Amino acid sequence: MAGLVDPVELAGRTAPSRVLFGPHETNLGAGRSLGARHVAYYEARAAGGAGIIVTETASVHPSDWPYERAPLAASCGPGWGAVAGACQPHGTLVLAGLGHCGGQGSSAYSQSVLWAPSPVADVVSRELPMQMGQAEIDAVVDGFAESARSAAASDLDGVEIDAGSHSLLRQFHSGVTNLRTDAYGSDRLLLTREVLAAVRGVLGSDRIVSLRLCCDELAPWAGVTPEHAAEQVAALADRLDLLVVVRGGPFSASAYRPDSHTPPAFNVALCRWMRDAAAGRVPVALQGSVVDPDVAAAALDEGVCDLVEMTRAQIAEPRLVGLVRQGDGTRVRPCILCNQACHVRDDRNPIVSCVGEPRSGHETLEPSTEGVDGLSVEVLVVGAGVAGLECARVLSARGHRVRIAERGERAGGMVRTAAVGPGRERLARLAEWLIAECLLQGVAIDTGTEVTAADLDAARAAGTDVVLATGSRAAPLAFPVDGSCAVVDAPGLLAGGADSLPPGAVVVHDPIGGPIGVGVAEWLAGTGRDVSLVTQDQVAGTLLSRTGDLADANTRLQRAGVRRELRALVRGVEGSRVVLEDVWTGERRRVACGVLVDCGHRLPEEALPLRRPDVARAGDCIAPRSILEAVLEGRRRAMEIATGVGGGGSPVPMGVAS
Amino acid sequence: MSTGARYRHLFTPLRLGPVTVQNRIVFSAHLTNYAADGLPTEQHAAYYAARAAGGAGLIITEEHSTHRTDWPYEKLIHGFNPAVVDGYRRITDAVHAHDVPILAQINHNGGQASGLYSRLPVWAPSPVPDPLFREVPKAVEPHEIREIIDGYALVADHCMAGGFDGIELQCSHSSIVRGFLSPATNRRDDHYGGSLHNRARLLLEIVDAVRDAIGGDRALGVRICGDELIEGGTGIEEAVEVARLVDATGQVDYINTSIGVATATLYMIEASMQVPPGYALFIPSAIREAVGVPVVGVGRFKDPLQADRALAEGLCDLVGVVRGQIADPDFAIKARSGHATDIRTCLSCNQECVGRMGLNRWLGCIENPRTGRESTMLPFPEKRSKVVVVGGGPGGLQAAVTAAERGHRVVLFERNDCLGGQALVAATVPSRAEFFDIARNLIVAARREGVDLRTGTEATAEAVRAERPDAVVVATGARPARPWWAGDHRRVVDVRDVLEGRVHPWGRVVIVDELGFHQATSTAELLADRGCEVEIVTNGMVVAQDLGITLDLETWNVKAHAKGITQSVDLVPMGVADADADAEGQEGGGDGPVVLTLQHHPTGTDRHRGCDWVVCAVHQQPDDALWRELRAAPFPVHRVGDCLSPRRAHAAIVEGHRVAVAL
Repeated sequence: MAGLVDPVELAGRTAPSRVLFGPHETNLGAGRSLGARHVAYYEARAAGGAGIIVTETASVHPSDWPYERAPLAASCGPGWGAVAGACQPHGTLVLAGLGHCGGQGSSAYSQSVLWAPSPVADVVSRELPMQMGQAEIDAVVDGFAESARSAAASDLDGVEIDAGSHSLLRQFHSGVTNLRTDAYGSDRLLLTREVLAAVRGVLGSDRIVSLRLCCDELAPWAGVTPEHAAEQVAALADRLDLLVVVRGGPFSASAYRPDSHTPPAFNVALCRWMRDAAAGRVPVALQGSVVDPDVAAAALDEGVCDLVEMTRAQIAEPRLVGLVRQGDGTRVRPCILCNQACHVRDDRNPIVSCVGEPRSGHETLEPSTEGVDGLSVEVLVVGAGVAGLECARVLSARGHRVRIAERGERAGGMVRTAAVGPGRERLARLAEWLIAECLLQGVAIDTGTEVTAADLDAARAAGTDVVLATGSRAAPLAFPVDGSCAVVDAPGLLAGGADSLPPGAVVVHDPIGGPIGVGVAEWLAGTGRDVSLVTQDQVAGTLLSRTGDLADANTRLQRAGVRRELRALVRGVEGSRVVLEDVWTGERRRVACGVLVDCGHRLPEEALPLRRPDVARAGDCIAPRSILEAVLEGRRRAMEIATGVGGGGSPVPMGVAS
Repeated sequence: MSTGARYRHLFTPLRLGPVTVQNRIVFSAHLTNYAADGLPTEQHAAYYAARAAGGAGLIITEEHSTHRTDWPYEKLIHGFNPAVVDGYRRITDAVHAHDVPILAQINHNGGQASGLYSRLPVWAPSPVPDPLFREVPKAVEPHEIREIIDGYALVADHCMAGGFDGIELQCSHSSIVRGFLSPATNRRDDHYGGSLHNRARLLLEIVDAVRDAIGGDRALGVRICGDELIEGGTGIEEAVEVARLVDATGQVDYINTSIGVATATLYMIEASMQVPPGYALFIPSAIREAVGVPVVGVGRFKDPLQADRALAEGLCDLVGVVRGQIADPDFAIKARSGHATDIRTCLSCNQECVGRMGLNRWLGCIENPRTGRESTMLPFPEKRSKVVVVGGGPGGLQAAVTAAERGHRVVLFERNDCLGGQALVAATVPSRAEFFDIARNLIVAARREGVDLRTGTEATAEAVRAERPDAVVVATGARPARPWWAGDHRRVVDVRDVLEGRVHPWGRVVIVDELGFHQATSTAELLADRGCEVEIVTNGMVVAQDLGITLDLETWNVKAHAKGITQSVDLVPMGVADADADAEGQEGGGDGPVVLTLQHHPTGTDRHRGCDWVVCAVHQQPDDALWRELRAAPFPVHRVGDCLSPRRAHAAIVEGHRVAVAL
């Protein structure tokens, strides 16, 4: 059986490994073309051993402009050429992602009507598309062909055609969105066959034609089911050099690349089914939260697939394949499937990145941490949360002698608290990986160790560099509590466990609208407690829209029996009842409350920083924020120390010297 | 009409320190999202120049950030980057060409931001998270306060090098200065916190530093929030005190005003048509009594008469007209030349201006397709054509007006006796009446441009051919589509049936909202006012979700509560039956009360609603029969608006304009 790092041949071209870096939104573009930041981003994955890279899906026709920085194939030629020039020297095959979002696009940028097989409004945008006529259909087929011609002229190894969860081709495949009465309705695969024929006609047999195919829309009443998809795969297999099996559709926007509430490698059964349908006529790639190299290797071993897409895993760890190849698979920085920084189909146009590897997407701006400094120094890091751990990890890798002093009994900090709730356990893996890397590199982690200002002075007097990463503390409640209920914050709850909570109805107060409040509510409801979740917003967990979990989270909460007290301000607790006030009408209501769980914002733990304000700081002790900021600042402080001793690289851009 | 004669105050000059404005109409600062890579663009220059050419008395640009820690939205101008100066010069040259002064607004948004773009901690007086961004800021230390002040001085230098006539400090609705001024966000116990004098210290230090940077021959203004409309925030009395402190420095030439906090009470800053015009005038009038410098009043000034009256009543010395000049750059010149009825009046609909800002999109206007596109020249028409437009809704009218303006001969057929199409329908609800201005403006323009308007005339294919057109624009709109679950029950009707008066529901009414916009809420309001007991159900997570982007959600919910309208979410209609049907249930088909079956999709459970009427706010279907008949004709036939695909008014306007430009 071929392994993850073994080569694979497609259309006579050899990919150096069986790991695919799939197409995804990055917002790295310059206008609608691929820019220098794209090139650096893809090159890092090629250098890290990726077998095939599919570039960000480009619209094959101007009628498609789904998000502001969505590439337009007609503008991508030079960018594709630059990506190929950067990646192919590493042996990596580069395919142009080509697609059209149809009715799932947006008219906001084009100011033009959306095209779709039938006038069926998208569930999410509610925008009604026009029904495509033959002229529009022909334009799309031509668009795919012309785009493929441009990709070949840019010396790419082929193209991948999008018939996945957000695609016009899938809309034609599906009874949910294709209500046509013409040939494209009676034969829903007709358009896809026309597109494939046109693209093959342009590319010939020595370039790769890959198809990303939705094989389950999760809408069995009218949508594409695995049974339909198996027939489609059988019908299309001979036309393809690679098939990537995916799922998701109009009613399941988040199912394509869900966060950790969906177990990893969720498409294994579906992929096996499609590989059987393909009957060896086309190699099949497994997609779907495959983030662990061992899981990927097992899928290859067990005949689930011939290749594995590991997109988010390589956003988190660009060197993934290389590490596996050299036997260091356990040192791969884990993807925790949080979707916090890599899920960037978002009106704000965030740049793709990773909470654990914040250089991702910023390869041209943030310095590499690699390299060893000429002079080794002693460093004391105060606090073993992710900020302190990342700082220590980078410094120790660069040859410095680092000691972390942690007040608590356990390293890992707030990430362990954030890992509360069903489906959120994976978050802790980042802390565990950082701890393991630190220990492997000789960092001393002294838990149960309080550091005083005098200790800082002594360390500095001895020439030791010091970084403070002391984290956060609970903020006082913003409302009065009369003592009739217990009050606990999220870290306190986690430390004591659910059994430590006094009896009575639980009220979770989540003014952040974030994952922790939702996770706590789900977790406690799962232990059989009566739970209300209070938010000032119109839905629970507002900020989860950024990770794609908003609708799913509200569904889970309702199924778990959590009462959502929406648009409610907490005015106080009186007589074991929490007083809620409607944000708009001012109307008050009361809800039983035996235990109040505070999931609100926290304050910096700055007792030590305030006493020694000239000492460098990182993470929550500057201002309590998310994992990404903590890791980024821990790393920046490390690189500032490294630069200070004549070590690697340029000064940290835009860094704030604390 | 003599120039501006009917306005006694609006067109009188005024000195703002060293700068004299020729009239009192200010194009106040507002976001545009026209910046690219943190720099001003050609589009900025063309946008401001169009308003200068249109006669504005004073232009104040959108904010320029004073420090790298300040980057709350992607397309912010990084004033601290020296590379901005070239772009500044382009803007000021373009505006000065029309002899209109232009000031630069400079600002640091403080804690009303996140580190998403900057990858830096957000700075604020105290670690109080902003209600919108929800990121805990870093409480600035003394050396960082110094850095903030230096940033203002640096950006003031850049602005002077770029040719601006002065500076406005935005200390009002999204600013670190507001953060320091407001007891809600300033919890410091050093000499920048506590007493008002302490909280105003940063403001006064910035005034000193900026005046120092710009010298005596440029204007300096300060924009103050008169009421934050948040708990524990600044109110009018304290705002007046702040204005006094500012005035007492002797370094400031005018005071601008605003209301609300951008990240908490935005719906009162950029109020929609749900809020009465002039609602914020209590602020300039109170401040004006306390200070010696001129004061600018703002807040939904839509017409010049209303602005003149505010001046006449002594409520303010200048009037901020922002959306009014977004909709019509020639607002001032038309008023002054006696053509006020030609002004393309702003609707205060907020759909494409305010509504696009929050979504990180360029500023546009629902009824002005050129807004946001000023830097792109339109092609000249190749020849003069005969154009037939079918349909007198916004799309058809826009096509007709644009075509006529470009020299084509235009005939417009409208089946109904009245022009306006569905805009007329939408505006029948009292609180939405101003929406009709979209049609009124176009009708006035069509008459002015000599469009042959044939109302009450059905355009058959034969009639169109008989005109021997060079091109035809089909804008025949849409008609209600019956949802699959409605059967043919006569008590299940469309919102248009209600608004157009074909049915008059009574008793208990359930409105099914699949559009998420004004259709359901307008109808609900109308029926509740007529005494119905109204519930809106939606398959979405929120009823009328898109009212959030137009800032109508708050006022809607307050009204809904007052009118007893209930709202239920996550419900998918599955079918209707006669309320008096037997236990087996049956297809709706009767004409009595209805039982509506709804599935609560998160839990998969069924719910039932017994009611007298069900009203559907659902997608319509294109009314494109004429297009189908004409599509093979020897002349080009274009579809615009709802007959292509039923959407909102802006789509019809844009398409009508685009088609006419391409003729």
